[in-house]
Amino acid sequence: MCCYRDGKYHLAKIIERRKIKSGGESGTHYYEYYVHYTERLDEWVKLDRLDLDSLQKVVNHKVKDHGGFDLASLREHEKLTKVKNIAYIELGKYEIETWYFSPYPPEFDNSPKVYFCEFCLNVWNKKDHLQRHMRKCDLKHPPGNEIYRSGTLSMFEVDGKENRVYCQNLCYMAKFFLDHKTLLDDVDYFLFYVLCECDDDGCHMVAYFSKEKHPEKSYNLACILTLPPFQRKGYGKFLIEFSYELSKKEGKAGTPEKPLSDLGKVSYKGYWTSVLLKILKKKGSQISVRELSEMTAIMPYDILCTLKDLNLIQFNKEGIQYICTDHNVLDIHLKDAGRGGSKIDTSKLLWTPYKEQEPALIDIS
Amino acid sequence: MNKSSFRPRPVNIHKKLPLLKSVKDFEDKDSSTGLSLGVEEEVDNEVHSTVPTPQYNIVDTYESDYPCTFNQSTSYLRERGGGSRSEIGEYVEYDLDDEDENWYKEFIISSKDWRNLLKPEELESVLFKLEVLDHKTRERAGVITPTLCSPILVLLQLDVAYELLHVESMSYNVFQSIFSYWRAKRERWQKPILRRLQPPPPFNDTNPYTVFRSRLKARHPHTRRMQMRREHNVLSFQRLHQVRRNLEQTKTVIEALVKREEKKRELVESEVSIMRLQMKYKQETPQFIEDCNGFGGSLHFSSIFGSSVEDEKFADSADDMTIVQPDFAQNLPFTRPLDPEKLVAAGIKPPLGPPIQNGMSAPSYRFHGRIGRGGRIVFDRWNPLLRTRIS
Repeated sequence: MCCYRDGKYHLAKIIERRKIKSGGESGTHYYEYYVHYTERLDEWVKLDRLDLDSLQKVVNHKVKDHGGFDLASLREHEKLTKVKNIAYIELGKYEIETWYFSPYPPEFDNSPKVYFCEFCLNVWNKKDHLQRHMRKCDLKHPPGNEIYRSGTLSMFEVDGKENRVYCQNLCYMAKFFLDHKTLLDDVDYFLFYVLCECDDDGCHMVAYFSKEKHPEKSYNLACILTLPPFQRKGYGKFLIEFSYELSKKEGKAGTPEKPLSDLGKVSYKGYWTSVLLKILKKKGSQISVRELSEMTAIMPYDILCTLKDLNLIQFNKEGIQYICTDHNVLDIHLKDAGRGGSKIDTSKLLWTPYKEQEPALIDIS
Repeated sequence: MNKSSFRPRPVNIHKKLPLLKSVKDFEDKDSSTGLSLGVEEEVDNEVHSTVPTPQYNIVDTYESDYPCTFNQSTSYLRERGGGSRSEIGEYVEYDLDDEDENWYKEFIISSKDWRNLLKPEELESVLFKLEVLDHKTRERAGVITPTLCSPILVLLQLDVAYELLHVESMSYNVFQSIFSYWRAKRERWQKPILRRLQPPPPFNDTNPYTVFRSRLKARHPHTRRMQMRREHNVLSFQRLHQVRRNLEQTKTVIEALVKREEKKRELVESEVSIMRLQMKYKQETPQFIEDCNGFGGSLHFSSIFGSSVEDEKFADSADDMTIVQPDFAQNLPFTRPLDPEKLVAAGIKPPLGPPIQNGMSAPSYRFHGRIGRGGRIVFDRWNPLLRTRIS
């Protein structure tokens, strides 16, 4: 089926159907998936936007590679989360179109729009409820501790155990823009790093990433998101660099949790390329992958993949491996990697690695 | 050599790889590098084209909704103690939901008093306080569970609530209506209506729509399971304390035991070395041996035999005995001299020599005692002339 989107016809697939009775109009809505694009653009449309002449029967449904899911749970995940439940959110200054389903309680189903308090991230169906809340809400920045401030940028560390409601709200909201995020585990086991731009109105969240308190596989990042109004401004790279700065302070290499989204892959590739190639340009005669890992807190495996993909690990005539550091080649790659985010001033980072609070041992012998 | 004949070996991450700007090799690979760059670009472009530019608009009412009252301090913002929002404080965390709004509307309409007898904010505040008070009541009763495993019932009573909440501005009737509404809602929900007070669902809840479960996977067996299984009450605390005391006592006892055994070993080792020395120097002067024989704290043997047993015959040759003894002691290994006082104490009499027949001046032999192997007391026949044993 072809149907409208921004004035043009595109090939789309009908996923679901629902009957709507709202504000006097009634009819059948169809949930469309645009075949050549991602599910982010899925939407509910009315019959008039469909071109019924080009109706085709769907034969096959190829299952995309979704990394961490096995086939059965992937099917289940897709079945349950295929349909976006809320189309728009209002967050602070912006009204944003959602990309994915988020498991809000049933009363939010089929709401065309939900309203967030920008600072405590609570959510309502109706605008005047939000406005009533704003009269009493005294929060002007994320809860938790500010661990970095440079210029107008601030980074807050929020402990999921200390501020459970806020972190749950954050996860619910982030889910609108992240496909593979699951909200299965309670936020108690995570730390949330919220990046903000600060002004007279308060500290406004632009991006965040989450991190497990006790990761099982050297993960130094679980989920990462830049809010749509602030994308393509370098905040993503900033967050990635920040996650590695934390790993450096912890003294161990880290890697992002898999699977990485498409945007995530591009960002990480770019980051790894920039960091590694800058070092290789300056370095003298030789270096081991282990040394590179110790300098950057990037896992050796990621370093190897990056260098191999860039074709920089080569063999000379005797079959000895070496790393090519021809500046011309490196510069080309660096240009492709794109510009990074704003530089992190590590002197402004006031942070110590997370330690589980031990209950105080009282000696009453 | 043709590079394609190499099977690329896995890179050893510990091995230092030389960094070469070798242009010659690079020229050979020029085409392939060009290709790879091209591919790289394609992939990037493809990804960028499929990732849609996000759609967003600016909200008109933002300025009025959010007042500009933020003053950033020069020091980094820190959560004080429990933090501004991490603990329950003055701030009314509860927000009215659709259900509450509907009830409120009906309540206002149904009461014939059209004056503003109840504001929505007041309703919010009362519901919040009821939730908190009920939570405290349940806490005192000790029924708070870490996960949502069974329906959570209301323990708070109406009169208790009215007393404690100090809602002077509200009439009792209004309060009563709010209370019954809240109570009914709690019964329907089977759990607190304030999100902060809702315990997380258990890990084995299989409903796919349930989110934010408490985690109890095998991933962290030592931390999560142990923490969840351990009870935290006074009894187990006292028990743990008792366990600690027991363990400390056991430790003291075992340490003492170890010391004792060590001393015993030292003792045996000393004995062995003395024996060895005695054997080594058996040809030396008796004087030397006598000096070495400060063994066991026993008295000098002359005095021992001087004050000995009822047998008179020993007394005659007391002098002889003194000299004899040390010689005798070195002839045999594993020998220890007898302590006659101990013999008396143990009631052991050295064997008498054969009875003196008439006319005989001295017995043909007498007996000499020693402690032989294994601690046995042995009396050898003694030839006084030769000063040796008669075997």
